[in-house]
Amino acid sequence: MTRREPSLFWRLALRVALVLCTGAALLITAAWYYARAAADDAYDRLLLGAAIQMAESLTVDAGHLVINLPSSAFELLGLAASDRIFYRVVDPAGRTLTGYDDLQTDIDLDTVRADPVFASTQFRGVPVRLTIVARALSDPTLSGFAHVIVAQTTEARRALASELTYRATILVAAMSLLALAGTMLAIRYSLQPIAHLGAAMRRRDPQDLTPVEVEAPRELQPFLASINHFMGRLNERVDLLQRFIADAAHQIRTPLTALSAQVDLLGQDQMDESGRRHLARVKKRADELARLTNQLLSHAMVIHRSESVQLAPVNLVDIARRAFRAAIPITIDPDIVVSFEAPNEAPMVLGDPVSLREAIVNVIDNSLRHGTISRLEVRVVSDKDNARVEVEDDGPGIPPKEWEKVTQRFVTSKAHEGSGGLGFAIASEVATAHGGNLGFREKGECGFTVYLEIPLASGEAEVRKQK
Amino acid sequence: MKNALIRFCAATAAVIFFAGSANALEGSRHFFAAGEVERDVLSIHAATDIDAMKPLILDFQKMAPEIAVEYVEYVTNDLYNDADKACGNGSALGSIYLSSSVDQLVKLANDGCAVPHRSPRTGSVAPWANWRDEVFGFTFEPSVFVYNSNLVPAGDVPRTHVELADLLRRKLDFYRGRIGTYDLRQSGIGYLLAFYDAKQTTTVYGRLLESMSRADAAVRCCNSEVLQQVASGNFYIGYNILGSYAYAEHKRNPQLKIVLPRDYTLILSRGAMIPKNATRGDLGARFLDYLLSPRGQAVAREKAFFFSEKGPLPPDVDGPLTLVQSGIARPIRIGPELLAAQDHAQRERFIADWSNLIIGGGRAMR
Repeated sequence: MTRREPSLFWRLALRVALVLCTGAALLITAAWYYARAAADDAYDRLLLGAAIQMAESLTVDAGHLVINLPSSAFELLGLAASDRIFYRVVDPAGRTLTGYDDLQTDIDLDTVRADPVFASTQFRGVPVRLTIVARALSDPTLSGFAHVIVAQTTEARRALASELTYRATILVAAMSLLALAGTMLAIRYSLQPIAHLGAAMRRRDPQDLTPVEVEAPRELQPFLASINHFMGRLNERVDLLQRFIADAAHQIRTPLTALSAQVDLLGQDQMDESGRRHLARVKKRADELARLTNQLLSHAMVIHRSESVQLAPVNLVDIARRAFRAAIPITIDPDIVVSFEAPNEAPMVLGDPVSLREAIVNVIDNSLRHGTISRLEVRVVSDKDNARVEVEDDGPGIPPKEWEKVTQRFVTSKAHEGSGGLGFAIASEVATAHGGNLGFREKGECGFTVYLEIPLASGEAEVRKQK
Repeated sequence: MKNALIRFCAATAAVIFFAGSANALEGSRHFFAAGEVERDVLSIHAATDIDAMKPLILDFQKMAPEIAVEYVEYVTNDLYNDADKACGNGSALGSIYLSSSVDQLVKLANDGCAVPHRSPRTGSVAPWANWRDEVFGFTFEPSVFVYNSNLVPAGDVPRTHVELADLLRRKLDFYRGRIGTYDLRQSGIGYLLAFYDAKQTTTVYGRLLESMSRADAAVRCCNSEVLQQVASGNFYIGYNILGSYAYAEHKRNPQLKIVLPRDYTLILSRGAMIPKNATRGDLGARFLDYLLSPRGQAVAREKAFFFSEKGPLPPDVDGPLTLVQSGIARPIRIGPELLAAQDHAQRERFIADWSNLIIGGGRAMR
């Protein structure tokens, strides 16, 4: 059992997305900090401006500190439209001159001199930002430092900071999405060669054990090399196996011939009825074995020739006629009507005459053995593109659902008869090697037809390509 | 039967309670029974004449017949003091406050005594008449001059602040003691208008104050008293009177005429605010939405306050044709700058300076 591994694409995309998310989170946090700082800076200036205006409006009149609060100071603070304003004016003795008595801070007012002081604190339960500015009084009747404390709620600051952060967030999010989309496209593009390689492997003919030649990036080369190495070894093994089968068949043929001769020599006369029956059966089996051995040899030959023999233009009618003669035995039942028809012109095909003849012989032989009752017709016909050798008989035919099966080795529609068939397999392989195919036609008004279809030589280029 | 008894007892208790509290609050209480079976009581605490508010309250009750309205009327400073005290205790006076002295409402809101109210209606309020969604201006009331046309010769009618100051100088004896205005010590709205007069033009304000001081200007606590004196012929001219009250008086006494100053006209928007911890603040919000609604604004223009930002001036008012477009109108912006007017040190000094001239010192100086 193999666990289902997540795809490379999603692995990469997920990791890139994680990195982008982390980056975006960091950027947004940074933007938030900067936005707060910027908002505080901007509004602190307003606060300070207002405090300075108030401090400037302090005057000393007959030993008393008098304030003439300028409206403009409040208008300045009012630029933060929704914020509440608190202030306190403290005279040099530390008494509150006006404003909110309870506006206290931890800051010791005496320490505030030339430079204003800012602080963030709470006042009446709400967060405020406050500033303290000092005003030096040097009137003979009143001297020292008066202080103005101005505080403002932080709504406008927070609103500005939120606004800035929000915009930055939108930018960062847009950027991250763009980056993610770009990365996904890039990953998809980078992984394309894998899909190409896969498709090339799938498209290959199952019989084709030659090295795969596909453009692949450097990263895939080791993988491709392994595949090719494996294919090479497999090819060697298959070759070896085929050679072994051919050798074995060849080796079997000689003793088999001898065996048949010996069986013929057995005197039937001395035998009783059952002995004769047994002998007939032995003869039949020996014939079948001989045929099978021949077919095995023929199959091995066909495969060998399809790999090694250069195709040449041949006249299909000649080949078919020769095959017809070879396939019809002299001892044929005289009640069976056999015929051969051919067109006047010669349909030329690119092919190997030996293989083609072998294929046609096998089809006719098959028909004689399993199909023909009283009629066998062999025809050569051709149309615009293809030439066909058709073998028609008046037998029961093969049901369409088995058509595909019977072209495989050692499968026959009549398995119970014990004759494992290589005939159709040989014919089919020859047809495929010639860029054509072995086909069947349903038993109609005429009879059941098996045909071998080969492209005409005019389609020369096509044949080459298929090969 | 039992229900009726309980209701009777409750009503009696309420009357006793309100009578007592009204006394303590120095306000006068008015009650508008619900049109249908009473389910809720809206309690309005206002520094606004009941005569002006009555048409609005009655129209509101047409839309909400299940609501009875209790209206407690104050002088502006009393409303502020009581509301401030209540806020300090963590309570509130009623469902909604209305005051012509918006600076006091802004101070209350700044002290955290208000709750914000947002609705489609509040969204349509002009920015200058809305602070923090807590204090809303719901009227448009020019500060005007009034005069008694039977007594003031047509050639004397002042059309600017400078003309008024010059007139008092020119015909000092004729107008001596015959010009009336607010008493700043008692009236918050009087102080606010004077403070903004001073802000507009320091020199003109100074001249006018000096002229009024020479002419022994009389001061009264409230608009209505000044208007009655002018209508009756006791005063000839009233200064810094709210146009809405003046126009209501003009309809009763046509000899009282109204002039919108042509150099500048202060525009006051009466403020409304829902206090924190209000009893039935939701009803207050409902009434506030009504006041800001087109229907409420129409009733205000026709029956209660007569002036509006967009509509034409009411008939028989002597003033510029286009108040807002000509730039003569100076709306008092509802916002934190009103806190400058509310600063107590500032206020004390301003009122002391004013008192010096108008109440006592002026005469001594002469």
